[in-house]
Amino acid sequence: MSQHGERPHETSDSKLSGGFSRRGFLAAAGSGATISLAGCAGNGNGGGDEPIRIGGTYLLSGVAEALGAGSEAAAQVAVDAINEDGGIDGREIELEIRDHGDDPQAQVRSLVQEFEADLLLGMTSSGVTLNTGPTWEQLGVPVTLTDIGTPWITEHDAETYGDYYEGDGQAAGIPNLFRTNSHTAHMTYGIAQYTADNYGDVTRIANMGPDYAYGEQCWDYYQAYLDGLGFEYEVVESQFPELGSGDMTPQITNVMNADPEIVFTSFWASDTVTFTSQAAEAGLFENVVDVFDTIGGSADNFESLGDTTPDGFHYSGWYWPDAYGTDENQAFVDTYQETYSEDDNITDYPTFTGGSTWAAIQIYADAIEETGSTEPEDIIDFMEGYTLENDPRGSITLDPDSHQANASVVIGETSQDAEVPYEGAGLVNTEEYQITRDEALDLLEGSGLPPGM
Amino acid sequence: MSYAFRDRLATAENTTWVAVVVAAVLIAAPFFLGGFQTSLLTRTLIFALFAVAFNLLYGYTGLLSFGHAMFVAVAGYTAAKTASVVAPALGLGELFGGLAPIATWLLILVLGVIMATIVAVIIGYLSVRLDEIYFALITLAFSMAIFVVFLQDTIGELLHAFGMGEGNWSNGSDGLTFLMGDVQALGFEFPLVSLVDPFHYYFLALFVVTLGLYALWRIVQSPFGMICKAIRENPERARALGVDVTYHQWITFIISGAFSGLAGGLLVTLSGQVNPEAHAHWSFSAVPVLMTVIGGPYSFLGPVFGAFVHEYLRWIIRQYPLLESYWQGSFGLLLLIVVLFLDNGVAGGIDRFRAWLGVASNRYSAEGAGGVVALTSETVSGFAATLQKKLSR
Repeated sequence: MSQHGERPHETSDSKLSGGFSRRGFLAAAGSGATISLAGCAGNGNGGGDEPIRIGGTYLLSGVAEALGAGSEAAAQVAVDAINEDGGIDGREIELEIRDHGDDPQAQVRSLVQEFEADLLLGMTSSGVTLNTGPTWEQLGVPVTLTDIGTPWITEHDAETYGDYYEGDGQAAGIPNLFRTNSHTAHMTYGIAQYTADNYGDVTRIANMGPDYAYGEQCWDYYQAYLDGLGFEYEVVESQFPELGSGDMTPQITNVMNADPEIVFTSFWASDTVTFTSQAAEAGLFENVVDVFDTIGGSADNFESLGDTTPDGFHYSGWYWPDAYGTDENQAFVDTYQETYSEDDNITDYPTFTGGSTWAAIQIYADAIEETGSTEPEDIIDFMEGYTLENDPRGSITLDPDSHQANASVVIGETSQDAEVPYEGAGLVNTEEYQITRDEALDLLEGSGLPPGM
Repeated sequence: MSYAFRDRLATAENTTWVAVVVAAVLIAAPFFLGGFQTSLLTRTLIFALFAVAFNLLYGYTGLLSFGHAMFVAVAGYTAAKTASVVAPALGLGELFGGLAPIATWLLILVLGVIMATIVAVIIGYLSVRLDEIYFALITLAFSMAIFVVFLQDTIGELLHAFGMGEGNWSNGSDGLTFLMGDVQALGFEFPLVSLVDPFHYYFLALFVVTLGLYALWRIVQSPFGMICKAIRENPERARALGVDVTYHQWITFIISGAFSGLAGGLLVTLSGQVNPEAHAHWSFSAVPVLMTVIGGPYSFLGPVFGAFVHEYLRWIIRQYPLLESYWQGSFGLLLLIVVLFLDNGVAGGIDRFRAWLGVASNRYSAEGAGGVVALTSETVSGFAATLQKKLSR
């Protein structure tokens, strides 16, 4: 199982410098007396009453504030539930979530090297995630992504797709990183399949998305899947407003002038709110057959939009609290609502990253309980191929090779009549979509896009 | 405490012993610090060079550039491309064997400085025609143009249009991430830049930063530096004395850009990644400005103090989620204190403190401990009076 078995997971400072370690250097320099002073703040703390430390980084300011806060809230209720149940083997979990800040890699290093986190959670930005890959790999601590769209970070086939970190490709998979959320290659498949199943007579498609890697990737994958499904269409317009733009009316006007039947969008967080309200004002929704949004189907967005969200359009996400009908999901949603019903800053309904974040904490807890260890090798070995039966979205399995969960995506119809605990729309008539690596490889053939699963 | 010690403390004369102590501390530091702190110190030293290079233009020549991120970005992208494309193409791996990462690193610094210099020559030529706020704005405009070039990958598109590559050069908003590889020599093997504990890279960076600061020190002490200060004080009078002010400013801009490029090459190699948001955005141009204002622009080492205050304060703030959410606010408060109380930033504060210690030691000799207490209370009430005066103005 462990193709990565030979990789070092030691995190003590003395090992990190490679063969020519600090200790070796000191000994060579004949200053052995200072060895005991050299920092060796390793963090595989060996049990006892020491808490288990989980460190997380999410965007807690700016355009994605609500999204990061939603993930933090889900992680916190999961940790609280475990601690109230007596912790893991009597040890409490201590959770520390920090903002990406202006130097996210320093933040991650600080969590491991100063806070002494045994396990990591994250992140909100795909670009930052790709940039942080080598830092995580060298830290060696298990990392679980709960919010990340880019398929590349769980793609390990460097032979086919090139090595991202050598500057010649897209495969950026690293051995100690896992992901519990479904990602862009799952999400766009769901929307493409929905398009092919429901809109066989539609041909005119326009795109709108944020002007950075995520927006471009969503559009590339969606088109590749449509092509793979043999769907005939014409791209009538493609517009990329700036990320966090407060004014999208010029782009919305351009899209409306192109007279599309379907508008595919990849907005998220506050961009979804901006797009939906300005498109509604411009009358876009009355003039098209459907509007899709990749990860805009989230309670925080719908609450911000209030009664502005039009009924009958298809917004989607990696999780929707009302889509599953499982006991585990109900327990999660109930706990979440109880915890945040009095908190004005957090929508008391989990966001689209709620399921994956809750799952990440449960998997860590299971790993420590089963292995009786917080050593990175033990946790990683346990997680490879592990099936979490009580995931809110139904059971998920972490692929032993890609480390990606086979989680579903959910597409629903916007409705002001949805039963939600806030003023605003929700999703009804939800449908779940799943795809395997082989199916994705088949559909994406010729596009050069990696499935990352 | 000997009289001589107090005397040395109170005057600016003979600071050799301070330099020796600082050098010893810096050389010994990574043996005692953990990985995170070693990384932070490395970054701080590199920023010290960046801020001093910036201050050659601001504090010494009187030109406030709001676009110095462009030099770091240009050198940074050069670094990433050198590590991933140029070095392998030149066959440095075969040529130098186990020392290839060091050869690549040297090439990164050389090419980074060359590219930054080319940018400085062109943009400086167009910018120094303006002064004051117009100079700040034109440098801001140029740096944002460069930000957009990297963000939208204009270079990739141009190369693609000429039939080279697949239209991806700077990798848009995600930027470029690269690895420097392991050095193997004399039976030792170590990563040139460990991202989690840059023990070895620290010494390389310390060496280059020291050389860079020494070179800048020689420049500001030379007749060239004297003319810089003359231009800052009164450009018209300098012109009347026969100085070609515009040309002199242009050369200063180029030197400042070249050393900023050197800092950029060092910095991007330390983090192993460069991206538009972190290294080319205008907010990154504000960093050396902030460091210089905090540290004191009218002193050579002012920006160095500023770099330390900025980076370590940032580190403290990062520990506390509440402070972290409002970190710009925390910095704003610090800046307010500096502007209200210190004439020349931390450097000015240190000078005043040294002078105060001199007075205190005299009062101690004359009046004993009571004299020092009295002086302290006089100083505090003096500060209160200054604050009241400034606020009521």
